[in-house]
Formats: sequence, structure tokens, C-alpha cells
Amino acid sequence: MTIWWLLLILGFILASGSAFIYVILKLHGTPKRAAAGLSESVQRAAREDIDHIFNEEFREELRNRGRLHFEKILGENAMFLQQDLRLTTAQLNDYMKEEISKELKEAFANYESAIGDAKQLAVESIEKTKTAIDEQRQVMGDQLEKEIAEEKARRIKLFEENMAQVINHYVLASIGSQIDLNDQLEYILGELEANKPAIVQDITNGA
Amino acid sequence: MAHEIREGLVLPTLIFGSVEVRRLLRELETLDEQLRQMALRRDEKFEMPRVSRLLDALAVENNCDLLRGSDRNVLRDFLKYVIEQAPTVHISFAADPSSAFTAKIVGWFRANINPLALVQIGLQPSIAAGCVVRTQNKVFDLSLRNHFSRQSELLIASLRGDKV
Repeated sequence: MTIWWLLLILGFILASGSAFIYVILKLHGTPKRAAAGLSESVQRAAREDIDHIFNEEFREELRNRGRLHFEKILGENAMFLQQDLRLTTAQLNDYMKEEISKELKEAFANYESAIGDAKQLAVESIEKTKTAIDEQRQVMGDQLEKEIAEEKARRIKLFEENMAQVINHYVLASIGSQIDLNDQLEYILGELEANKPAIVQDITNGA
Repeated sequence: MAHEIREGLVLPTLIFGSVEVRRLLRELETLDEQLRQMALRRDEKFEMPRVSRLLDALAVENNCDLLRGSDRNVLRDFLKYVIEQAPTVHISFAADPSSAFTAKIVGWFRANINPLALVQIGLQPSIAAGCVVRTQNKVFDLSLRNHFSRQSELLIASLRGDKV
């Protein structure tokens, strides 16, 4: 607003000066020389008036006012610029946040999807492995039970055979030296009598 | 070489093996030689050579006079016949049998199997009791050990707790 007032005042002053010069020229209607002198004197007077009006103080005042106005405008513009900059920065931040969030969400979604797929694959792999392990364990269990049963039967058989031998050996060793040969005579003769036909046949038909 | 033997000759149970028979044969030949030499020397003092208990038993049981050469020849031929023709049975016991026990066993073989059967006695402590008879082609295990072995199934069944 101030600069407009200043320009209006300057326009008014110029218009007043021009009107004064025009009136002077009209009133004196002199020949060309006179007119020329008049013109020069008018110009000189106008220049003086101008110098008088637009003196150093007035110019300094105008300069100060202009500087202040300029500084004010600069301050306002700076403030507007700062506000715009803050707003832009805020908008940019929001935009960046949105974009980053969007990208991150997409990335996270991709990661989540990939992790889900990997998890699914891992679960399937684990299930397959578990199934294979269960089958293997079942097979091994069956085989182990079979081998244990076979080993048990073998050991029982071996035990029975060895046990019979051990008992026989023990009994024979225990009573062998305790039975008098004369006491065995009846038993021996009985056995010989029982095998008599075979003995006779072998001796009769032998070589 | 086949030898002609007189009927009714018997082999005493004291003479049970081929070893005794061969020993008797050698003793008989020695006696024959001694008597022949005495006859050649024409000794006035006649002393009958001492003979073993087995040879004496053989002569007594067969009614033979050892001073007569013909009887000695009969016994010699009989012993040679026994060596060549008599069946031999090997029998093992858990312990060394006494003479009386051996005589009873030999008597059974000669009464039931063959009158001239020779018995070879062996020792086999592992059989515990009974005997093992081995003829020319067969082995008859009549021992307690074999009896136990045959009854091992019964023993196993008893160990299992099965009713037998």
C-alpha cells in the first residue's frame, strides 16, 4: 500500500508541475527567443523546484521508506516462502511417508508372501520328512521286532540245548564217580539183553 | 589157515580177550618147548614147569593134561582157532571193572552171543554209567550219557514247564 501512495504522490507532483509550466507558457505568449528564454527559465525553475522538492532529505526519506518497504516485502515474501517451504516440506514428508509406507507395505507384503510360501514349503518338507521318518521307524521297528524275536528264539534254543548239555554234564560229572560198577551190572545186562538181537545179527552177518 | 578143533572145548571166562589168548598161546609154546627139552635131556628128576592161572583153568575146564603133547596140541589149535575165528566185542565202562564183573560180562556174551566171543575192555569215564558196546560194524551206546541225551527233550519240556 505504501508504494502506491508514493507513486500517487509523485504523479500528483508531476501533474502539478506540468500544469504550472503550461500556465506560464500560456500567459506570456512571447516570441521564439523570448519563448526560448522563458522555456529555459522555466526549465531552470522547474529543475530548481524539482531539486527543491526532491532534495536529499526527501530522497533519503524515500530511500529509507523504500528500503523499509522492500525489507518488509522481503520479510513477508520470506515468511510466505518459509510457509510455502514448510508446507511443501510437510507435504513432501507426507508424500514420502506415504510412498515409503506404500513401498514398505508392498515389500512387506512380498516378503510376507515369500515367507508364507517358504513356510508352506518348509511345512510340506517337514511333513514329508516326518512321514518318511515314521515309515522308516515303522519299518525299522518291524525289522527290529522280527530280529529280536529271531534272536530270542535262537537264544532260547541255544539255552535249551546248552542247558540240557550243561545239566547232563553236571549230572554225569556228579554221579559218574559215585555209581559202583557192580551196582550197574544189572542195568548193563538188561541193556545188553535188550540189544541182544542187534548184536547177534551184527556179529553173525559181520565180515 | 583153518585149524581142526575137538568138539566141546570151551574158553574159560578168565580168558576174555585176544591178548590173553595170545599170551596163553606163547605160554603153551614155551611149555611145549621146555617139556621137549626135558625129554631130550632125559632128566631123572622131573619138575613140572609152573603155569599161569589162565592156562591151568583152560586145561582144567577142557579136561586136558598139559603133560601130554597131544592135549597141548589140541589146546594150541583151539587157541589159534579162537584168534582166527572168534568174534571180538569191544566194551567200555566208566571205571576199571573188577575181575568178577568182567567174568560176568564175558559169561553173558559167551552164553548169549557166541561161546568163543572175545571181549576187549576199555575205559571211558565220560559215560558215567552203563557201557558202550562196539561190534565189528555197529556201536551200541548203552550209557547213562546217551540215555540223558535221548531224554533231553523231556528235560527241556520240564524246564519250559510243559506237562510231560
